[in-house]
Amino acid sequence: MTTTGTAQILQLSGIEKAFGGVHALRGVDIDVAQGERLAILGPNGAGKTTLFNVIAGDFAPTVGTVRIEGRDVSTAPARTRPDLGVARTYQRTRLFPGLTVEDNLYVAIVGKERGHLRIFKNKKDRVFRERAARAAQRVWLGTKLDTKVESLSHGEQRQLELGMAMSVHPSLLLLDEPASGLSQGERQRLTEMLLSLEESVTLIIIEHDMDVALSVADRVIVMHDGSVIAEGTPDEIRANQMVHDIYLGRTGSLE
Amino acid sequence: MTAADNNASRPRGRVVTFERALLVFAVALLLVLPAFTSDFFVSFVLTQGLLLGIAAASLIFLAAYGGMVSLAQTLLFGVSGFVIGNAVTTGGSKGLNLGLDPWLGVALGVGITTVLAFFLGAVASRSTGLYFLMITLTFGVIGFYFFGQVTTFSGFGGINQVRAPDFVGTPGQFPERLYFLALAVSVIVYVVLRYIARTPFGLSLQGIRDDHVRMSSMGYNVWVHRTLAFTLAGFVASLAGVLFIWWNRQIDPASIGMGEILALLIIAVIGGINRLEGAWVGAIVFVMVNNYVRDVPGLNQIGLTEARFNTIIGLIFLIIVLLSPDGFIGIGQRVVRLLTPRAWHTSQAPGSDSGSGPSVTAGSRSDSGSGSAETTGNK
Ligand SMILES: Nc1ncnc2c1ncn2[C@@H]1O[C@H](COP(=O)(O)OP(=O)(O)OP(=O)(O)O)[C@@H](O)[C@H]1O
Ligand SMILES: [Mg+2]
Repeated sequence: MTTTGTAQILQLSGIEKAFGGVHALRGVDIDVAQGERLAILGPNGAGKTTLFNVIAGDFAPTVGTVRIEGRDVSTAPARTRPDLGVARTYQRTRLFPGLTVEDNLYVAIVGKERGHLRIFKNKKDRVFRERAARAAQRVWLGTKLDTKVESLSHGEQRQLELGMAMSVHPSLLLLDEPASGLSQGERQRLTEMLLSLEESVTLIIIEHDMDVALSVADRVIVMHDGSVIAEGTPDEIRANQMVHDIYLGRTGSLE
Repeated sequence: MTAADNNASRPRGRVVTFERALLVFAVALLLVLPAFTSDFFVSFVLTQGLLLGIAAASLIFLAAYGGMVSLAQTLLFGVSGFVIGNAVTTGGSKGLNLGLDPWLGVALGVGITTVLAFFLGAVASRSTGLYFLMITLTFGVIGFYFFGQVTTFSGFGGINQVRAPDFVGTPGQFPERLYFLALAVSVIVYVVLRYIARTPFGLSLQGIRDDHVRMSSMGYNVWVHRTLAFTLAGFVASLAGVLFIWWNRQIDPASIGMGEILALLIIAVIGGINRLEGAWVGAIVFVMVNNYVRDVPGLNQIGLTEARFNTIIGLIFLIIVLLSPDGFIGIGQRVVRLLTPRAWHTSQAPGSDSGSGPSVTAGSRSDSGSGSAETTGNK
């Protein structure tokens, strides 16, 4: 892995991660080009979320390097990621229940901008709040701006989770099972929204729902037990017998 | 400046107006009260209540907006008093006896306390929840012994006969002046803290309270944020310390001992630890009980003499906590809710523009599942 071509927005080389005796990742190499749409599949415990946590800087890999836009950020903490254009969602929603929908989005936007410690309001806040309102509309929460997050429904919280990541106009968007807990109609709506993302946005999506994952992705990676076991286009993955045996066959969500 | 300005259909207005009216009424009442009450009441109930309210506000600010229950606020309050005592006193048996101008004393008291708060905050802010509570309690206990044993600064006898500026006068000379000063400082502290709660700093502090892992992944330096919130709270506590030393004219380690540390926490809880107003409500209730319990007929007969004052405070504490986790303020909110029958209460609690939700417990939220990084140190 010596390539540092600018077209590669993300380069993972030899990533291993152990939690005590648990080897969550056992040597993962993945390159992602700018604008790519990559889906990561795999059974429970395969290490998908752990891979996200390593990319997002929640913890450093035990072995291996993470490069974002050519820069080695393996040990740089999570808070350095927004400056690199990275935004993520969490498998289990992580919101601010005591704040309103608008304030959740506002805090996300301020996080990306300068002035975290500003103790007075100024003109920028109006701009940020307008951006927050637009981000809310994008995830169908336009009428809920003043609702406290703790009183949103589960589905609405999933939408806000997504809205917060998208509100900062990331260049690398990491979505961890965005469709989980959504109804069929909501999944359809989500798929359409992801398909309408700007071309320059690089998307990595972990998703158990095949319909969502395979219609959004142009490349698919299958993980099992901490390793990548298959890689290909959505059609190739559909046809891959090993993938069926290990994972897809069991869930029966393919035709 | 909130987005409510752009969108008239939002139902927030009525509640806020009602709340504001209530606050204005409370301040108006406090303004005229001295005209109808005794000097004793003005000094021992109102002034003491307000200055303890400011100290409690520093605790509630951290708890409600930052999810940090700090037991070091009493220490910071005391440091401000001790610094002023050392700076302005002359001829005392203990302490530095610098004999400086009382206003210079204020600058030193507030300045040194704020700087100290920064360093204590930097240490404590590495931890959360129960650990934060224990670390700040440790600060408080160390402070108590420090001032008890280091006679250069105090000793257990404390610093006595501390001078106040001429404006405040000698003890008992102008009780109303100190009272109005305490009222003015209270109002300013309240307004400024409420304002800050709506700024980027304040809103992101509330984000950190609710989920600091998410906040780091959105680019925030959680530790710096917490440290500065602690510093701000220390500044507020130092103002209470200034008023205290002018009111009491004496400070000793007992003023910041275990009993006082707990008293401040009790004030915050009986007032309502999730809302800033609770600080002053709790303080005035506390001081009233403190001063008037002995006058309640029948208490003596059932054995609750003055010496058992703590039993009564304890009982009140218990009843409040059982009745309403949000203290007196919470009880008041429920009454307001009953009086304004509108469906939107379900989605929006009165005054939610403060952003202070049921927050103190939220600080300990942990997501031990696969998405969690809380157990790792790489922040
Ligand atoms: N913070 C952690 N501490 C300890 N072990 C962890 C931690 N995070 C993940 N693991 C372990 O690492 C392994 C991989 O977990 P991970 O969450 O990455 O799987 P996943 O592919 O996201 O699964 P799922 O589909 O259930 O979300 C599991 O055995 C899990 O228990
Ligand atoms: Mg997962």
